[in-house]
Amino acid sequence: MATLKEILTRRPVAATIRLTVPAGGAKPAPPVGPALGQYRLNLMAFCKDFNARTQKYKPETPMAVTITAFTDNTFEFTVKSPSVTWYLKKAAGIESGSSRPGHVTASTITLKHVYEIAKIKQSDPYCQYMPLESISKSIIGTANSMGIKVQKELD
Amino acid sequence: MSLPLSSLCSHFFKHLTYCNSATTFFSFLRRIHCLPPPNRFSFVPSARAARQQLLSRLNVTAVNCSTLPLHNGAVTAHDAFILHYLSVRICCPRHVADVLSESLLCFGASSTTIDELDSHESGEEIWISSTFDVDQDVKDCISRAADSVGLKEIPNYKVEMHDHTDWIKQTQNLQAINIVLNPGLAFGTGEHPTTKLCLLLLRRLVNGGEYFLDYGTGSGVLAIAALKFGADLSVGFDIERQAITSARHNAALNNIGPEKLLLSLVPSKNGPEFENECPYEDISSQDLYNSKIIAEKDKYDVVIANILLYPLLDLAERIVSYAKPGAVVGVSGIISEQVPTVVEHYSQFLDDINVSTMDDWACITGSKKTEPGTT
Repeated sequence: MATLKEILTRRPVAATIRLTVPAGGAKPAPPVGPALGQYRLNLMAFCKDFNARTQKYKPETPMAVTITAFTDNTFEFTVKSPSVTWYLKKAAGIESGSSRPGHVTASTITLKHVYEIAKIKQSDPYCQYMPLESISKSIIGTANSMGIKVQKELD
Repeated sequence: MSLPLSSLCSHFFKHLTYCNSATTFFSFLRRIHCLPPPNRFSFVPSARAARQQLLSRLNVTAVNCSTLPLHNGAVTAHDAFILHYLSVRICCPRHVADVLSESLLCFGASSTTIDELDSHESGEEIWISSTFDVDQDVKDCISRAADSVGLKEIPNYKVEMHDHTDWIKQTQNLQAINIVLNPGLAFGTGEHPTTKLCLLLLRRLVNGGEYFLDYGTGSGVLAIAALKFGADLSVGFDIERQAITSARHNAALNNIGPEKLLLSLVPSKNGPEFENECPYEDISSQDLYNSKIIAEKDKYDVVIANILLYPLLDLAERIVSYAKPGAVVGVSGIISEQVPTVVEHYSQFLDDINVSTMDDWACITGSKKTEPGTT
């Protein structure tokens, strides 16, 4: 529940902007530029803030960020960790998923990989209250849909 | 009608030599046929004139894009101002808007925007604006996204080609504060907490006659402020050309001559390039590179570096080397959780480390160690 203060000072939302920006690499060029410039948001402030918060990730990791632009030209944003499919592709060492998932296996990964990915995902705002086991199951499901097999150990 | 289409083709061919693959060639041809009629393009002479004006203002040599410049596969930095992007407006039912925009991002869109103000008038439907790179297959991406969300048919959409002048112009607004600043595309209007923290630090330290170095000067706001507080000389370093030109411009706006505010471009990574005569190949960067002031160490009474965590760690020794022994060095641009790492790394170079914070940002100060036994 929002506090009383938050309700009283709530600003009307002008737009919700979703972007994929490489970690530490926000610049006033597309995709950031046109999307934010349209609402007269302070581009450089966003870039600096975003770059500072994503310093702990490997550079050029694609981060999903959702920006809420308010009508008074201010904004707030939340940064989400990269998508599960991206992590799976990196862990399996492949560029793209299998063309016929279920029939053709693109690559294999171990349970350890799944566990590591689940740990990272748990720090995401919307996954925090899920048990690690559920997150892992959902990651295995995604892997299956991409044609990546999950093994107990690599032989 | 032929003029916009041919300049469109020239741009695609430019990408063709860059990408160099047979499959992309066919997708380009396919897209040229399905694009909507040219009256939707913003390829009008006024856009080009505005672009030229903008480029001259930013001091970049303009590439004339009406001819057919086939670079040898390399896209130079100048093209960054002339690159186009595709802006697509998609109409979809309101309840799938959120999911559809996430799914568009997965299938290749660069960004999606849902405008809330539109949504109050219309009933069932909502517009999503999306941007794509010029070499993306828009139709394919939209159909896959619609499919994955569960829509039975491809939603209506309109494609337009835009170029950068549209949004660059919108972000340049003149901020009237005591220091007259037009940051343009450089960082530093004085409003960010890190800038404020550094300004407070400057006010405390600069009393008159000091030499000040601003590492990562951006718009030059800190260097100019130091001069206003009474410093004798301000020097600014930055890795971006736009920052140097922007800082020069702001110095002029505040009636500060080039002899009071020296600026130079510096390499972004710490390494042997710093000591070279000039690591840049293009003339416009060479103009902005001043190897003489880059080499002057142990010169400054106050050094401030308001950049980011990793550059601060990487360049720590270099930043501190510019300060006189016992002089104050301040670093900022770090969020509170990054403070311990920075303090630990800088404690090998600085004594009396102090941390001040504002909002979630921190500024760390210390004085350069005076080594016993050296002059």
